[in-house]
Parts: sequence; structure tokens; C-alpha cells
Amino acid sequence: MPGIFTLPPYDDEPPALLGGFCPVCNAYYFPRPKYCRACLGPLKETRVGSEGSIYSFTIVRKKAPLGLPQPYGVGYVILKETGLFIFSLFDPATLDKLRIGLPVRLAVNTLGVDINGSPCLRPYFTPMPVMSDPGKI
Amino acid sequence: MANALAAIVGLGMIPCGKHLERSVIDMATEAVYLAIKDAGIKPGQVDACFFGNVLAGRLFGANTIGQNVFWEVGINRVPVINVENACTSGSTALYLAYNMIAAGQAEVVLAASSEKMYVKNAGLVDAGLDELDTLLGLAAPATFGMRARRYMEEFGATEKQLALVAVKNRCHAQFNPLAQFREPVTVEEVLASPMVADPLTRLQCCPIADGAAAVVVCSPALAKRLGRAVNIEATVLATGDYANPPNLAGFDTVRRAAHLAYEKAGIGPGDLHVVECHDAFTITEIMDYEALGFCPVGQGGKLVEEGHTKLGGRLPVNVSGGLLSRGHPVGASGLLQAAEIITQLRGEAGERQVRGAKLGLVQNMGGDKDGDIRACTISILSTW
Repeated sequence: MPGIFTLPPYDDEPPALLGGFCPVCNAYYFPRPKYCRACLGPLKETRVGSEGSIYSFTIVRKKAPLGLPQPYGVGYVILKETGLFIFSLFDPATLDKLRIGLPVRLAVNTLGVDINGSPCLRPYFTPMPVMSDPGKI
Repeated sequence: MANALAAIVGLGMIPCGKHLERSVIDMATEAVYLAIKDAGIKPGQVDACFFGNVLAGRLFGANTIGQNVFWEVGINRVPVINVENACTSGSTALYLAYNMIAAGQAEVVLAASSEKMYVKNAGLVDAGLDELDTLLGLAAPATFGMRARRYMEEFGATEKQLALVAVKNRCHAQFNPLAQFREPVTVEEVLASPMVADPLTRLQCCPIADGAAAVVVCSPALAKRLGRAVNIEATVLATGDYANPPNLAGFDTVRRAAHLAYEKAGIGPGDLHVVECHDAFTITEIMDYEALGFCPVGQGGKLVEEGHTKLGGRLPVNVSGGLLSRGHPVGASGLLQAAEIITQLRGEAGERQVRGAKLGLVQNMGGDKDGDIRACTISILSTW
């Protein structure tokens, strides 16, 4: 999955998905196609999002492919930064927290294997940490 | 209808099931043979052939096999075109056959399709490993699990309403000797079956199958001479628009195809007597009702709950038992769905016959891309 997310180490910037941007049409794409679909002009590689909310999701409980854990969660996330709806994996450790509307942020970690069977990095979304209750401080 | 541009005059199919001893070609050959015999034509009359299949290349390394199939029944020399269009491969073959005849380029065209899926270690059906979505874990049941959850969130549909689609179609399948699973099931059994992709349980996901079907399509003039013709009032194919944002709670591409098909046929959804729609998952049938104009958006669950779409209801849907009972031999399903409407319109459906059925619709869809479907075909058939 080369070129679809920023690579570690992450210092100041959180991990982000990389997509395309057409400055003429003001259009964002993920993943980045070869040309802008509206004007066929060139696209700039750009960060399309690090945070968002869940539009829908499911938990797949059978025949996990590509070394993914069983069960595993996938869904569509609405990216806060660009408004794109994108398909993604969810954090395997937080499947019980998934619900429509849940705020999530991107993580990149070793998850499953690539098509050659080697462990590989995958982007996935994980629930935003819950803000501590200001009243208790 | 007098102005139909082509007609179906022959139908052949084999029962859907687990045919471990049979090859894709073997199954297809029998279906084509039966269709030719059913039509009462000779192989030498066939001007062109289309053959739909999806998985033979991936599973068996067998490509361009339509030529093998048609030569087994003595057809050579004429154009043979292999068609791959995901789960609409079979119906795309029909679409192409229709268009070739409507264009006046042929008088008799065969559309056939076959699929073999029962092999060891087959995974869930996906869009191929060159797709990012597949690498991120997208497989067919996941797509429809996400749709179901979004649909339920937006319209308040219940798990029971979803389950009722499976209950209805299994009830119909009792009367279809060609269906793979013919035992009736209850709502409780559907919901208690193992979860595949939340909220879809196993009995809400169509099983795989081996199967094949073929039809003989011909010009209206020849159809008149052969008899038992089923007119093709319209057949359309729509491709997804892949808009972002996608709409997971509605089949906008199916709706677009339906508008076009109704317009071409000069009829509306209220005129139909019988329908086969693409019930690969329970949620798809409910969303299809809405996209095909059988009820307002958000009311699909209620439509099945009130019994309007069962045999004996206002508009029987998937009287064959649907993909949920027949199984889904992906490349062959489109023609198997059409086969049910052809059988119904001929008045040959036995115990599951919809009385007086003269106008039917068959809707088939396939593939997933960017939260949309890759292809949707709709055909409107008649015997009036």
C-alpha cells in the first residue's frame, strides 16, 4: 500500500492519509488517481485527513483475509479535514466501541500481511481518546 | 408487446448446488444444449454467442472458455465473446445479445453463463488484490454489513425486517426444485445463525453455488415462427457513479437503471406482476424495493413485513427463492434470475406460479467500488 499514508517516525504531525488534490477543481481524492476526474489535470499529493467520524461500519467474523485478526472491523470514515468518505480498517482492540458517529483518528501499525505474506503496515482508525471530565479536575 | 426488438425463445439451466465432479465448461455445455433444444433451433442458425463467467481464470487458470463451451454443442466460426462483469456477467451477456439483435446485426444469439465456486479454501468474494479496498479487508459481506447498518440507522429498519427477507425467499424455494436450499426457516433461526458481518447473519448472506444457465435470443420475426417467445421489452446496464460522499443507505445506481428501463419499456413499477431482484444479502432486497420504485425510500422493511412481496402478495419478489436460497454462482446468477421470470411468464412455474403473470422484471447487480456498485442490469420481459 505504498503512498497512501505518511510514514513513521511521526514527530510533530500525526499520521495522515495521503491522497490527491486538484487546485483547479478544488477537489480531493483518496486514494490518489492518476488524473483529476473532473478536468483530467495533474494532481498534487496531499494530506487528506488524520481524523474523522464513523459513517458506517461492520465487523467481519469469518475468513479474515491477508493475516488480519478475526474478527476485524471495517467501515467508512468521514474525514474532518476534507470531507472525503473513505473506506478503512478499525483498531482491532476497540471493536466493541464502534458506533456510527464515533470520532476516530488515524493510526499506522503492523497489521496483517501483504500479498507476499510478509507483515506490513496498515492504516486504521481508532476511537479518539475520551476527554477527561473538566469538572473533576 | 408488438414493438419489442428481441425475444427469448430458449432456456436451459442446471440445478444450483455443489457439483464437485463437474467443470465450468461441463455445466455450461449442458445449459446451452438444453436452451438450444428448448428453442427448437439448430446450432448452425446461431449468429453469435456471449459467455459470462467471473472466477474460472482466478480459480482454475482457465480463460476464454466460451469457445470451448459452444464448440461442445457444434458452434464454431461465428463470433464468440467472453464476458466478465462481476455478478452481472450473465445478465451482461443477455444485454449484449439483445443489443446485437436490436441493432439488426444478428438473428439468433446465445447468451450463456457458468460458475464453479465449490473449491477448497475459497475465501470470501472480493474485488481482487489490485484494489486498495481489498487490501484493507473489504469482502462482499462487509460491504453489505456496512450498508445494512447505515440503512437501519437512517430509517429505523429492524433486524426482524431484514430476517423476513430470508424467511420469505426460503419459503418460496420449497417450490423450486432447482434451488440449492429448500428448507423453510424462521425469523429466530435466521437471527440465531452465526454472525458473518454485523448485522448480517449467515442465513442473511447468499450461499455460494455451482451453476449454469443459457438463453436463446432472437429477432421478433423468428420468435413468431418458433412460439413460446418471451419478449424483451427493455434491457439496460448502468455503471456506478462512484460519487463521494457515497450513499450506503440506498442503491442510487439501481434507481438510475430502473428509470431507464421503465422509460424504454413504457411501463411503471405498478404494472409489474413478478420480480426477481438481486438478494445477495437480505439488506439488498430491501434497498432494491426502494430503488425499483416498489415503495418510498425507507419503507422497504415494512413492505416485506406486511407480506406484499411474497407469493400471493401484491408484487411477488424472488419467487424462485432468490440468491438466498438458490445460491449465487456469481457469473451465472444474472441468467438464472432471468430464467425464473421466463419460466413464470411462460406459465410453467408449477406450484410457485404467479397467476396471470405477463410482465416481469429482473434486476441483477455486481461488484463494489467506492461505496457504489460496479454494474446493475435490469430487464423487463413480457408475454403479452
